[in-house]
Amino acid sequence: MSQYLLEIKNVSKFFSGLTAIDALNLKVKKGQIYGIIGPNGAGKTTLFNCITGIYTPEEGEILWNGKEIKGTAPDKIAALGILRTFQTIRLFAEMSVAENIMSGRHIKSNQKWYNGIIPTPAYYKDEKYNWEKVGEYMELFGLSEYATTPAGDLSYGVQRKIEMARALAAEPELLILDEPAAGLNENETKELAEIIRKIQDMGVTIMMIEHDMDMVMSLCEYMTVINFGAWICDGIPEHVQDNPAVIEAYIGVEDEDEDE
Amino acid sequence: MSKTNMIALGFLVIMGVFPFFADSAWLAVGTTFLVFSVVAFSQDIILGRAGAFHMGHAAFFGIGAYTTAILNTHFGWPILATWAPAVILPMTVALITISPIIHLRGDYLLVATIGINIIFIQVLENDLFGLTGGPNGIFGIDVVRVFGFEFFEQTHMYYMAFILLGITLFIMKSLDGSKFGRAMFYINKDDVAAQSMGINIRYYKMYAFAIGAGIAGAAGSMFSVQYSAVSPEAFNVLQSIMFFTIVLVGGSASLPGVLIGTFVMFVLPEIFREFETARYLVFGLAMILTMILRPRGIWPVKFGNIPAFLKKDVK
Ligand SMILES: Nc1ncnc2c1ncn2[C@@H]1O[C@H](COP(=O)(O)OP(=O)(O)OP(=O)(O)O)[C@@H](O)[C@H]1O
Ligand SMILES: [Mg+2]
Repeated sequence: MSQYLLEIKNVSKFFSGLTAIDALNLKVKKGQIYGIIGPNGAGKTTLFNCITGIYTPEEGEILWNGKEIKGTAPDKIAALGILRTFQTIRLFAEMSVAENIMSGRHIKSNQKWYNGIIPTPAYYKDEKYNWEKVGEYMELFGLSEYATTPAGDLSYGVQRKIEMARALAAEPELLILDEPAAGLNENETKELAEIIRKIQDMGVTIMMIEHDMDMVMSLCEYMTVINFGAWICDGIPEHVQDNPAVIEAYIGVEDEDEDE
Repeated sequence: MSKTNMIALGFLVIMGVFPFFADSAWLAVGTTFLVFSVVAFSQDIILGRAGAFHMGHAAFFGIGAYTTAILNTHFGWPILATWAPAVILPMTVALITISPIIHLRGDYLLVATIGINIIFIQVLENDLFGLTGGPNGIFGIDVVRVFGFEFFEQTHMYYMAFILLGITLFIMKSLDGSKFGRAMFYINKDDVAAQSMGINIRYYKMYAFAIGAGIAGAAGSMFSVQYSAVSPEAFNVLQSIMFFTIVLVGGSASLPGVLIGTFVMFVLPEIFREFETARYLVFGLAMILTMILRPRGIWPVKFGNIPAFLKKDVK
């Protein structure tokens, strides 16, 4: 068993000539909150897409508990315990909040193929148990009052919470958050930071991309900075903050960050 | 009792007593309405729930009908014995023919499934192995016989179709309340998100096609017995277009919507029969207007069907 939960080894991803990720290395320990930062277009989301199987990197290895998972389909990645949220929120907008979160229970449900046609006692038990779980996650995220509301009708901040609740409902080992604070106001961001800590306390390892530096610096135990797909530096927040290369990478792009 | 259940019960009661008030011509219309509703529901599993643009459903309906017709007239099987093959064969054909094209999206899948339907019609018209009877089809299909009883009357046909619709509604209910039906919705609404939640898109789309084809096959078997004959034009692309339209006009994934769609697209034209071809003009216009004014159908689906204990905090 590897000492690390997730290892990215020399991973490169190209888009017709563009090097979106350039021989990147990083290692995530179990229980960590791990930050990925970098200017716009640095390749952060692409990295997450490589980990979750949406893209297959052309080079390198992605090790999960020491085993290669590169090229594994997204649904199999989820089944391994790696769940994610999206930078541009992707909820099932017309469906209710409860039904959205229920999608997280999909891989935990053990209904048999014939239960889509005919219910059985085991099916009723499974169905009830999973809805109860949905109730727990709605409570945890303060979403109970919206149980029947279509997810798409709710505010941005609430939608971000639904997305996290949905991923967490799958009881992941690793939760991957792509800019969870984007579009949130100050209060919502504070609340979010608390939630993320709570998730960590539940024993979930977290990887997050975030442009909100206050939040990243206070939450993350370790981080990697990338620019143009390549490693700039990594370390604990204090170390990264003072690194000249990092400051240089951000100079001139500071304003763009505000657009996100 | 919830509103939906009340509407469902009302519908079943009305349909259940309908034969006592209808003459034989209307009884035939009623029977076909029931059979077509079943086909429309099976189309809805694929189109309305899994979101696959499937425009060849009449082929699966037809395979069911021809299975019963061929086994009965050529091989002397009693109708009852043909029921299982009439479900399993279309299911198998769906699994084999759809599997290589299931990854196609929207318009591409639509064209490919039309292709399947056209090939099916060609097979029928060319009298494959001397079994399908060519363009004229097959006549003289028997009635259902159980323990010496013969179910030959129009009323018998009606109630058999009624039971078939009941079974179909039961399956739709089971599907809606299971991870299988939900997975179809998730894929339909956002396939990337669905996949990232661990849902195997291919598996659940194939599942939708298999169940949809099986139910359509059962309806086909019923259809062949009702008319005691089958012929290719009942299963051509035009019919597929009708089933497709029924779902979209009525309301994708909505049980009342699909019934309304079937009523509007099939029964209304029968009511206005005297107007001959002009009625189709009206229908064309009605279809266009529905799509403009009610793009999600006449009776759109409503989500949020969750257990009561989760609604306690809802204001
Ligand atoms: N599917 C794709 N095809 C082609 N190019 C892509 C694709 N996805 C991303 N890219 C490019 O790869 C680079 C990295 O993009 P990515 O979205 O990973 O950046 P990011 O670090 O997440 O930026 P942001 O902070 O703006 O979200 C960009 O130049 C982007 O245009
Ligand atoms: Mg990004």
